[in-house]
Amino acid sequence: MPRLLIAASIMAALAGPTLAAQADPPDPLASVMWDALRPELFGSAPITFDDRVTVTAPANAEDATAVPVLADASALGRVEEMVLISDLNPFPVVLRYHPVAAKPVVGTRIRVQQATPVRAAARTPDGVWHIGGRLVDAAGGGCTAPPVTYAARDWADHVGEVQARAWPPSGDDKTARVRFRVRHPMDNGLIAGIPAYFIETLSLRDSNGTDLARIDVLEPVSENPVFTLDVTPAAASRALTLVGRDTQGGEIAATIPLPWTQGALP
Amino acid sequence: MKRLFRTCLLASAMAVGLGLSTAAGAAEGPSNDDLLNDAKSTGDVLTYGMGLQAQRFSPLDKLTPETIKGLVPVWSFSFGGEKQRGQEAQPIIHDGTIYVTGSYSRLYAVDAKTGHKKWQYDHRLPEGIMPCCDVVNRGAAIYKDKVYFATLDARLVALNKDTGKVVWSKKIADYQAGFSATAAPLIVDGKIITGNSGGEFGVVGMVEARDAETGELVWTRPTVEGNMGTLNGKDSTMTGKLNASWPGDLYKTGGGATWLGGTYDPETKTLFFGTGNPAPWNSHLRPGDNLYTSSTLAIDPANGEIKWHYQTTPHDGWDFDGVNEFVSFDLKKDGQVIKAGAKADRNGFFYVLDRTNGKLLNASPFVTKITWAKEIDLKTGRPVYNDDNRPGAPEAAEKGKSVFAAPAFLGAKNWMPMAYSPATELFYVPANEWGMDIWNEPITYKKGAAYLGAGFTIKPLYNDYIGALRAIDPKTGKIVWEYKNPAPLWGGVLTTAGNLVFTGTPEGALKAFDAKTGKEVWHFNTGSGVVGSPVTWEQDGEQYVAVVSGWGGAVPLWGGDVAKLVKDINQGGSLWVFKLPKA
Repeated sequence: MPRLLIAASIMAALAGPTLAAQADPPDPLASVMWDALRPELFGSAPITFDDRVTVTAPANAEDATAVPVLADASALGRVEEMVLISDLNPFPVVLRYHPVAAKPVVGTRIRVQQATPVRAAARTPDGVWHIGGRLVDAAGGGCTAPPVTYAARDWADHVGEVQARAWPPSGDDKTARVRFRVRHPMDNGLIAGIPAYFIETLSLRDSNGTDLARIDVLEPVSENPVFTLDVTPAAASRALTLVGRDTQGGEIAATIPLPWTQGALP
Repeated sequence: MKRLFRTCLLASAMAVGLGLSTAAGAAEGPSNDDLLNDAKSTGDVLTYGMGLQAQRFSPLDKLTPETIKGLVPVWSFSFGGEKQRGQEAQPIIHDGTIYVTGSYSRLYAVDAKTGHKKWQYDHRLPEGIMPCCDVVNRGAAIYKDKVYFATLDARLVALNKDTGKVVWSKKIADYQAGFSATAAPLIVDGKIITGNSGGEFGVVGMVEARDAETGELVWTRPTVEGNMGTLNGKDSTMTGKLNASWPGDLYKTGGGATWLGGTYDPETKTLFFGTGNPAPWNSHLRPGDNLYTSSTLAIDPANGEIKWHYQTTPHDGWDFDGVNEFVSFDLKKDGQVIKAGAKADRNGFFYVLDRTNGKLLNASPFVTKITWAKEIDLKTGRPVYNDDNRPGAPEAAEKGKSVFAAPAFLGAKNWMPMAYSPATELFYVPANEWGMDIWNEPITYKKGAAYLGAGFTIKPLYNDYIGALRAIDPKTGKIVWEYKNPAPLWGGVLTTAGNLVFTGTPEGALKAFDAKTGKEVWHFNTGSGVVGSPVTWEQDGEQYVAVVSGWGGAVPLWGGDVAKLVKDINQGGSLWVFKLPKA
């Protein structure tokens, strides 16, 4: 018995990062990709499947090129980073979200290539990734269908244009919901003859220029992407700014006015 | 255990040391001094023109007319995709990596020894681009940690040279008004200097300097009289004098595109930019010299002021677009060394100028037939026109009097750069022998529409050849030797201290000639037409040669009768690398 224990610990030491994987709880969604994604995305960091992280998405995607997804980890309290994952996509990582002064809640629309688990992982300050998700059934091809954008010959004139709205801060934590859409074809490079061309980074900033939230956008986010965030601007803020850029150096810049509320002025 | 530990420490120390040195060398990239020294350094090719003066001369001499039979292909790299159009690029070589551009605004970084791709950048082009003369690109520029290239939608893109990630992307001009950009950028004293394309769409030619680090505009210099230049965001000086050589408002759409980029002479600290044809082609609509179209401009790189100009075709009526590169060289004549420069113009004359003041020293024909001018008057520096060879005014008719003129509008020499060898003291000029029927038609300017006001068709002059690679003695203007090629020559020239001259042919060959005699000493068929510019460098003690292959460019699009001759050439898109292996 003691000998066995020693052997096990040596093996574990040799195996290094897989130790954590071996100790992992089983994937509740039983995804065939999980064993590969787990070390790729989280290395040896501890993970736990946690019902407090919710993913709201349709059980069956009506349009595989724009599946609405809302990931919410606010039940965990403070979250440093969130990752949205679509296991069976050619590019499984959808986005990384950094809620600097924001709730760990992010909503967007994504492309899915086939029926797949869609998950959100949220890293709390103790370094643990809390993972929740659900299955989304879908007809195939969401990632390899050409964008509708190109039906308009003047699409290039409108790339980077932003439509946005902010709602008044509410609740105890005075978060303001912000929703914005950026016009962009978001080409993921999988369609023959159309090079990869997508938004890479977006930052929502307070009026003094500090980041409220940052999104690292990746290939599976839908064309003309829409994002919903809950941010906490300073009490005196009258407007937020959205800045970002795409993979070809195209710049995104917009001002989003905050609605005036009674008593908000200091 | 202890020994093992020590060995490990040593190994990791070494690894750290190595890691640091390679990382620093790779991250820094070439400095301004490296660019200035490019013509002399043999281990790299850092500038378009193989030196800022663009002599395209390499001091390497391992390859000679005798040893070249040992030159063999090492690898070939495909540009991929369905986008096999004209490949007119010159590769850049730095630190064992080749940076090469392809058609449709693509840029590749490839390991020079193995051909392994490091990264690729495909620029996403909008639908409405309007390149006049194929979707080509002529090459990248490198400076410090970035590589740069211009795109068909008239943008300048800076990428990290190690990752291919875009650092910045700046709009040079409005592609919807007809602007595009195909030339390799030029980098001088930390400024990235570019021209523009779009002379057939009534745009105004422009030379622009940006901060290479940030892409912010430093100065702009329009090439057409009456337009205002800028410096640090404020108006600087007007180019020339308003309406001095242009009637009415025509200067606002006057052409003069600087679509081939420029060269730089560090000795006189001067940029040289050739300017394109005036718009519209119908010269009767714009009486006057139409300065500074079809000219060479000498520009101060610090502020964009014009030091001098020399107009090769005043009041151009034949599309003798004067963009051809101006190559600085030391003219050794009558025991003197003159700071000279030479230009083989589209109009058929080979000009030698004093590059300190733009004064004409000599002008001689480098093609067999020139109909539009009898000669260039060496006293006045102006052409002596054959007035009846100017296409007639259309007046109220649908079409003016048609004339047969030579050279054709595609030029006695088009974009393809010549080379100068200080060893043989000869220029090697890729010329074409053709003429055209040309007539004028009524025209009005409309944004984004072709602004020609002319009709034309190109015809070969001879049955057996169109292209001619000619060795020209700049002291006398005499042709020392020539190589005749059935199809028009459309690729750049390279010469070496090993007494060799390289150029490509649309028939698919990369060829080498004895620089003194013109004897063909080597050729290799690349599988598609060669219309790019070859380069050579040394790596691990072996001399390498690289060239892109892929038929295209203006000839199949605009070549009239000539297009028939080349219609069966297959397209391609690849980079070929050769070397002379160590014995």
